[in-house]
Formats: sequence, C-alpha cells, structure tokens
Amino acid sequence: MNEDTRKLEELVPQARAGDVDAFESLYRRHQAGIYTFLRSQVREAELAADLTQQTFVRAWESLARLRDPGAFPSWLHRIALNLVRDEAKSGRARLEVVATDVEGERTGAAAREAVARNPGPEQLVLSSELRDRVWQALESVPAEQRAALVMHHMTGMSVTEIAEAMKVRPGTVMSRLARGRAALRKLLGSYVEAQDGQM
Amino acid sequence: MAKCEWVQTALPDYVEGSLRGRAKARAEAHLRHCAACRAEMVALERAGELLKESGVIPAPSRVWGSIQAEITRKETAPAIRGLRALWRGAVAVAAVAAMLIVVWAVRPHQAPLPAPAVQQVAIDEEFQSTLEGHLSSVWVTPLADEAALGLQMAALGEEG
Repeated sequence: MNEDTRKLEELVPQARAGDVDAFESLYRRHQAGIYTFLRSQVREAELAADLTQQTFVRAWESLARLRDPGAFPSWLHRIALNLVRDEAKSGRARLEVVATDVEGERTGAAAREAVARNPGPEQLVLSSELRDRVWQALESVPAEQRAALVMHHMTGMSVTEIAEAMKVRPGTVMSRLARGRAALRKLLGSYVEAQDGQM
Repeated sequence: MAKCEWVQTALPDYVEGSLRGRAKARAEAHLRHCAACRAEMVALERAGELLKESGVIPAPSRVWGSIQAEITRKETAPAIRGLRALWRGAVAVAAVAAMLIVVWAVRPHQAPLPAPAVQQVAIDEEFQSTLEGHLSSVWVTPLADEAALGLQMAALGEEG
C-alpha cells in the first residue's frame, strides 16, 4: 500500500464520520487535479471553480456510499464528470479554454520556481507560451479523449482508475489515450518534434 | 518489414503500451531501422510529457471556504429543522391547553353527575327498605294511646 492509499484509508473514514478537517485534507490533496480536469472540460474558469465546489460538496454528502477509500480519486472524478455532463445537457458548459487565462490563473508558483532557477527572460516566455499552446491544443481534442489525457498525464491517474471514473473498460481508456495523444501530437506540431541532433 | 504508414498508425497504441504480440514485435522491428518512425514515436511521447509538465492548476483559494460554508449549512440544517418542528409542536400543545382551560372556565354549572348505576341501585334498595318498614309499622301498630284518645275526643266533639 503506497503513501497515497494509506492516507486515503485514514482520511476517508474520518471524513465519512463527519470530520471536516479530514475532508479538508482530502480537498487539499485532490482539488488541483479536479479543478484542472474541470478547467479542461468547461468554458469558464468561474464555472470550473463552481463545479469544483459542487464536486466536493456532493462527495461530502455521498461519502457513506464510497466502500473503498482507495477509490476516492476515481470516484471524485466520476462525480466531476457527471456534473460536466449535467452542465452540457443544460447547455451552459462548452469548452473554450482561453490559454492566456489558464496561464494567468496559476498562483505563480511555477513562475517563482523558474525565476529561482534564474533562467533568461526568453526561457520564461517560451515556457509560458508552450503551456498555453498545450492548453489550446487540448481544446481541439475530442472530449472523451481530452478527459482521459488530462486524468492520465496531468492528474496522474492509472488506466484502471480512469476506467472506473469513466465507467468504461480499461481497453477503451487505452484507446482514448492513444487517439488523444495522436491528436495532440498533430496539434502541437513542431513543439513536440525533436530538433536536429536531439534524437 | 512493416511499412511506415502501418507503423505510424500503430504507434500511439505502441506508446501507450497497448500494442501486443506480433503487432508489437513487428513495430519494434521497424523502429530499429526507421529514423522517421522513431522520430514520430518521440514526438508522441513528448506530447504526453508536455501535458504532464503543464501540471495541474490549483483551484481558486475561495473554493474551500465556499465548500466549508455549504457543508456546514447542510449539516446544521437538519438540526434547525428539528428545532423548528419541536417549536411548532410546543406551540400546538400550548394552544390546545389554553383552549381547554377557557372551555373549563366558561362551562355552565351543572348538577353533579349521577352516581354510577350500581350505587344508585343500592341507595334505592335501602330507601325502599326503610319506607316499607315504616309503612308496615304504621299499618300493624295501633296509634299511641294519647293519640288515639285525642282522635276519639275530637270525633265526639264534632258529634256533640
């Protein structure tokens, strides 16, 4: 049992018993993953924040139904995914990630870290530009593939966890990841192509 | 050797690790000899790396405050509802009690309720027994001498 699972085994039952502090710990550990996932799925940052709130409130209300504490991350993403689908049905949610907003939303931790390493201004600009480009490319990837890509590469979920979250077979997730990666690669073009002599 | 077109179609699955068996061996054999397909494989891997390097975006700091407020409100809501129900119940009981007191205070004064039938029967029997005894004694016992004399004198006086 790894550290994350051990923590979940400890925190989930405490939160289930009504311990708000334990639930806050769960929130702190998973909020960025959920917000990033939602940010990749809906149009506005404000809506993503609102859905993040709803995801955790719904999780709090439904914790009694979560049998396996280790399944908390996939269960949480499942809730978030259902909320996105509800929003889509209502016609309010539509993906339109504005890359500069995504960059602007960051707390600045990454930028501070980069400055601490003392890079040149060009390097900082390139890093920011590349991140924006990645988000713009994500925007054009089909929704199911985009969801799988974000959960796997950005949130660090396993194929099995994603399959649980999306209620599909692991093979379907693998396929979505492969197709999504191929789409992303095309969209990123020269950003992912090795320069001469780097192979 | 597999053609580049086939390999590049299979590459995303190969990179994800979902290509197996003979297909996997065929792709690997091709990649050993084809720089262009290797470059494509590297580009696919880099696309995944860039996603990972982009990292996650923290939710706005206000979100936890909103969550906490909502779950606290929802936690206390049943208690408040319970108190309200209790209060409504108490008011209803008080209203009924007040109504009963008013009804009792303004009620018309009535004779006491008759005693239970069994007691009534007992009294009647006792009364009847006393009455019968008295009548019987009057019937069978001659009047006292003085009374009888008085009555006779009165009769004689009327005759005279």
